Amino acid sequence: MVFFNKTFREEIMSGCNIAFRYKGAKNNPVFLFPIPSFSTIIIKMLRTGVRTFTAALRRQPQSQHQKTVTRFALQRRLLTTARDEEKARNRAAIGVFNWKSAALFLGTGAGLLLYFRQEKERVTKLREEKARETSKAYGKPKIGGPFELINAENGKRFDSTKELAGKFYMVYFGFTHCPDICPEELDKMAEVVDIAKEKKEPLVPVFITCDPRRDSAEIVKEYVKDFHPDMIGLTGDQDEIRKVAKSFRVYVSSPPSVEEGEDYLVDHSIFFYLMDPDGKFVDCYAKDTTAEEVVSSYEKYYKEYYADKK
Amino acid sequence: MTTESSKPPSRQQRQHCWKLRDEYFACLDRLTIVDPVIVEKEPEKAKECLEKKSKYEDACMASWVEYFNKRRVLDVKQREYLEFSKQQSGKQP
Repeated sequence: MVFFNKTFREEIMSGCNIAFRYKGAKNNPVFLFPIPSFSTIIIKMLRTGVRTFTAALRRQPQSQHQKTVTRFALQRRLLTTARDEEKARNRAAIGVFNWKSAALFLGTGAGLLLYFRQEKERVTKLREEKARETSKAYGKPKIGGPFELINAENGKRFDSTKELAGKFYMVYFGFTHCPDICPEELDKMAEVVDIAKEKKEPLVPVFITCDPRRDSAEIVKEYVKDFHPDMIGLTGDQDEIRKVAKSFRVYVSSPPSVEEGEDYLVDHSIFFYLMDPDGKFVDCYAKDTTAEEVVSSYEKYYKEYYADKK
Repeated sequence: MTTESSKPPSRQQRQHCWKLRDEYFACLDRLTIVDPVIVEKEPEKAKECLEKKSKYEDACMASWVEYFNKRRVLDVKQREYLEFSKQQSGKQP
């Protein structure tokens, strides 16, 4: 079967540069060289011829269709070279997968990936915004509201709708005779105000006393000056204070029967109430939040508020 | 009318009161007395701390003394309970 000698075979192999991976072709002599030998053709011809002849003898005469099929099969067999056969075998092994289709596949894949990523980002952003809007519309409790008290600074009436309009302010309810909690919280509030001032996000601290019986204007004035120069101290009479405390849902409880000059403590809830420039409630901060946490939260609300306004 | 007693303590007075309170409570801790009320009932139990006690009670307002004493008991109880619950939960920190 081997017409060409070994060196010629090797030359042809090196010139081919195609990786042959056809299984079972290792020992196939046809695999070794690309050009079919003359003898192979002759043998194939004879084989097919014999087969057709014997088939014709044995069976009914072939139908027209069958004759066409046989003729085409014969042609295909005769004219197919080994290389074509190898190619066909390789193509069969790899299937529809060649370099061009691979490149196309990867390109489409990459394109789709990028497109979907973009779309996903867009949709998540939209969803976030919608969630924020709905929470804004329904989620804010109706805490606080306009109030009118006495400003400890000058003893005059203090109307929140006039004096605090257009500014963010933070309210704390306490009393001057508080042992340790109010001083701590007011120090924290002063720190928050200072940090916010540095960041150019002004915040007005407001102290409202829950103990108007003992905390007159002068006392409150001196008290708040000790913490921060910007702090506004407010007082009033029992009814006014009770109304404001109620609107802020602040728990305040004085001992019921106290005599003049007697010493007592007022029980009250410990929260900072952040209000926006429209006088609406934004958020409240408990005793365990640090000044930094309060400031970062405040910053978010500040930016949100002014971003909306723009 | 605001009398002298109803004027609130200034920052210095507050801090002075807190310092004496801490000293007194540290003394009680050394004697492992939790509730300062016991000292009221049985002063012999805390002889070393009596001087600190009187200084503390002078510096701070009466309502504050009562408040701090009650808070001490509550804080100790709370700490014990947290320890207990941490043990019970079996979670490693």
